[in-house]
Amino acid sequence: MTPRYLPLFLAALFSATAAHADDIFQRVLVDGSRLNQLGVADSANAGSVTQQQLAARTSYRPGELLEAVPGLIVSQHSGEGKANQFYLRGFNLDHGTDLRTSVDEMPVNQRSHGHGQGWTDLNFLIPELAMRLDYKKGPYAAAQGDFSSAGAASILYANRLTQGIASAGIGQNGFRRALLADSFDAGDGSLLYALEAQHNDGPFTQPDRYHKLNGVLRYSQGYANNGFNVTAMAYDASWNATDQIPLRAVQDGTLGRFDAIDASDGGKAQRYSLSGAWRQTTDDISSKVSAYVIANRLALFSNFTYAMDDPDNGDQFAQPDRRVTSGLEASHTWHRHTDRGSSDTTIGLQLQNDNIHNGLYHTRQRQILSTTRQDHIVETSIGVYGENSTRWSRSLRTVAGLRADAYRFDVRSDRAANSGQASDHLFSPSLSVIAGPWRETEAYVNIGNGFHSNDARGTTITLDPKTGEAADKVTPLVRSRALELGLRSAAIAGLQTSLSLYRLDFDSELLFIGDAGATEAGRPSRRYGIEFSSYYKAASWLSLDLDLAYARARSRGSDPAGDFIPGAIEGVAQLAMTLTPRGPWSGSLRLRYFGPRPLTEDNSVRSAASVGLNGRLAYQIDKTLRVELEGYNLANRRDSAIDYYYASRLPGEAQPVDDIHFHPVESRSLRLTLVKNF
Amino acid sequence: MKRWRTLAATLLACASMAAGAHNFHMGIADISYNAASGSTEVVHTYTGHDVEALLANLYQRRFDLGQEDSEAALRRYVEKQFYLVAPDGKRLRLNWVGMKVNADNVVIFQEIEHTRLAPATRIHNQLLIDFLPSQRNTLNVQNSGSIQTLIFDHQNTELPIR
Repeated sequence: MTPRYLPLFLAALFSATAAHADDIFQRVLVDGSRLNQLGVADSANAGSVTQQQLAARTSYRPGELLEAVPGLIVSQHSGEGKANQFYLRGFNLDHGTDLRTSVDEMPVNQRSHGHGQGWTDLNFLIPELAMRLDYKKGPYAAAQGDFSSAGAASILYANRLTQGIASAGIGQNGFRRALLADSFDAGDGSLLYALEAQHNDGPFTQPDRYHKLNGVLRYSQGYANNGFNVTAMAYDASWNATDQIPLRAVQDGTLGRFDAIDASDGGKAQRYSLSGAWRQTTDDISSKVSAYVIANRLALFSNFTYAMDDPDNGDQFAQPDRRVTSGLEASHTWHRHTDRGSSDTTIGLQLQNDNIHNGLYHTRQRQILSTTRQDHIVETSIGVYGENSTRWSRSLRTVAGLRADAYRFDVRSDRAANSGQASDHLFSPSLSVIAGPWRETEAYVNIGNGFHSNDARGTTITLDPKTGEAADKVTPLVRSRALELGLRSAAIAGLQTSLSLYRLDFDSELLFIGDAGATEAGRPSRRYGIEFSSYYKAASWLSLDLDLAYARARSRGSDPAGDFIPGAIEGVAQLAMTLTPRGPWSGSLRLRYFGPRPLTEDNSVRSAASVGLNGRLAYQIDKTLRVELEGYNLANRRDSAIDYYYASRLPGEAQPVDDIHFHPVESRSLRLTLVKNF
Repeated sequence: MKRWRTLAATLLACASMAAGAHNFHMGIADISYNAASGSTEVVHTYTGHDVEALLANLYQRRFDLGQEDSEAALRRYVEKQFYLVAPDGKRLRLNWVGMKVNADNVVIFQEIEHTRLAPATRIHNQLLIDFLPSQRNTLNVQNSGSIQTLIFDHQNTELPIR
């Protein structure tokens, strides 16, 4: 060895045996589409989906990207443009309650929303910019607060693209989409832009005429772990809605499956945001600060009971919501390294303020007939947390956290009796113990408390605005408690599996009241569930995914009505096959089973199962040009996207009738897309 | 040349093992004049882990270093952070020849066609240094017989050859 190599060699030998604990630096398997989470995740249910896997998915709508989370179902019960309907871990999450979703570190859930608590409208999501989807289920992470008891999903956008994208798509049922996105060097950083335009009618007798314009502009400097970005987003959409229809009318031939009852249902949505994130990482510390201002505006006209309350004018109602959400999140982590392991200690702060104007109006043909209620809400929250993650030895890790949340609700209602202020706070401890890995297998025990906030209007209510009768206030912050056992293994080459057994209790269940179009704080609940998830890279050109989940959800306490939870999902299965052989062809097939659900508390009425088969075939014409054919509901099944059971009255009916109301899954459709990279 | 690359790879592997998850980061480059072709050849060797982390943080997604898109992304980065400036102030045209990936390292090949480096040519090497504060790049220049070793780090990103 020559002397000039010596310093290098010595430096190598005597350098500190330090480890970066920052997840950015984790060594992960990149040959699979699902990242190997051994030694990384704190529970068996957590995971990270790569950009490659997200890109290979066949999604009818952007929100379906979240179905990459095992056990999660995304559907629609109204017109495109409305927030999707989510199901996970024995919940009918309605429009996103108890599923915390963030895009680019901005919360998507809208609290105290005009239509549904935790409203999650993901239609502004541009899948081509999504570089990673991280998910966790259960309230075991101190950094996750409101709405995260069932799970949390976080989508990260790119700072830069490796290539520009020009994409043009055309499909059945009036589908058209165009996307242009690229990034280039600007000053000391990079500027990324994306523009999207889309139109879709769906298979409905009255076309949805969903039309959206969407844009992203981002400036970034440095790296994700050492750098900053500033991002502006704008989204504008309008649509007609075919809301759920009564089964009796379809069965007697009065209505077709894709018919609408109130042709003036629909809405408009706008979302504008300005956000920024800064992050610094060294060997010993990492710091992150992000801030955002989001302006949302929604006009929403629905009619779920048709002509029950007002046979002359019909029951259409409007739930407009206009808000400005601003927030700041900061965290700081200390990494400490020992001979045996390492320890990370994180403290964090989350501030959020919502300035909301919303209301509930009785309307006809989108014209206001009367005001049920009209409110100005200011909802402010602060969350602080501390979490320590320690690797005690090669085979033992722990993660212990404590979170404190305080909320303040200020409601100015059109009725003085319903105006007022309320506040609440709670503490949420969590602990995870991870044993292993032994033979590429880890075992997890997780225990934690979480919560969801209730609608601010419920915290100050004294009179029901519809009936004028006295009304009870709701608990502002509702506690959840969860316990979970998990196992994750990569012992067999190419196969990643995980198994979770959990119990989740809520002090009060948030229920969607179909005929009122609102959520209501309900009875305490308990869920038991089991989830199995596997990813098998059978060959370099073939991967298989199988996800199975079953949950048993019941209300607690005795009630003659019964203890089933209407809409609560039970069994879910997903089987996917992705083919990426050498050569120009690639493809995927995905079978989704969305099992029967109880529709009433006594389980006397149940929904049928929905089974969907989607597929994708792509041909790489040359290095920069690709054509893709995507097919949805390939078996052309006549299933429901959602079912409810309640009373409604069709025009001409003498009395209200209790019945199943359903929204059909879209019939088989194909879309052809040409993608040019530049 | 081949012997040097083997040694460089061995050293980087040693560093990887000793440093666990890389508190210490290093890269090695070799610039030599090939009398047979009349061109100057550049060979960089970096640990695969560091390059993966770099690309992941640059593009917020994981790259498989064997794939074509990772080469395009890495090339764009290397050509921005590594260049040579002739004594007259003009940048020398550095061609991308290719890259090789093995279990531990990424080896990048570049060349300056029909050119021998003039004395006082300045080398700008900020590869991984802008990303990892503790990165040190050792560069050996064999231009006319004797070998000159340059060390690039956070403080020294551009150095002249003799």
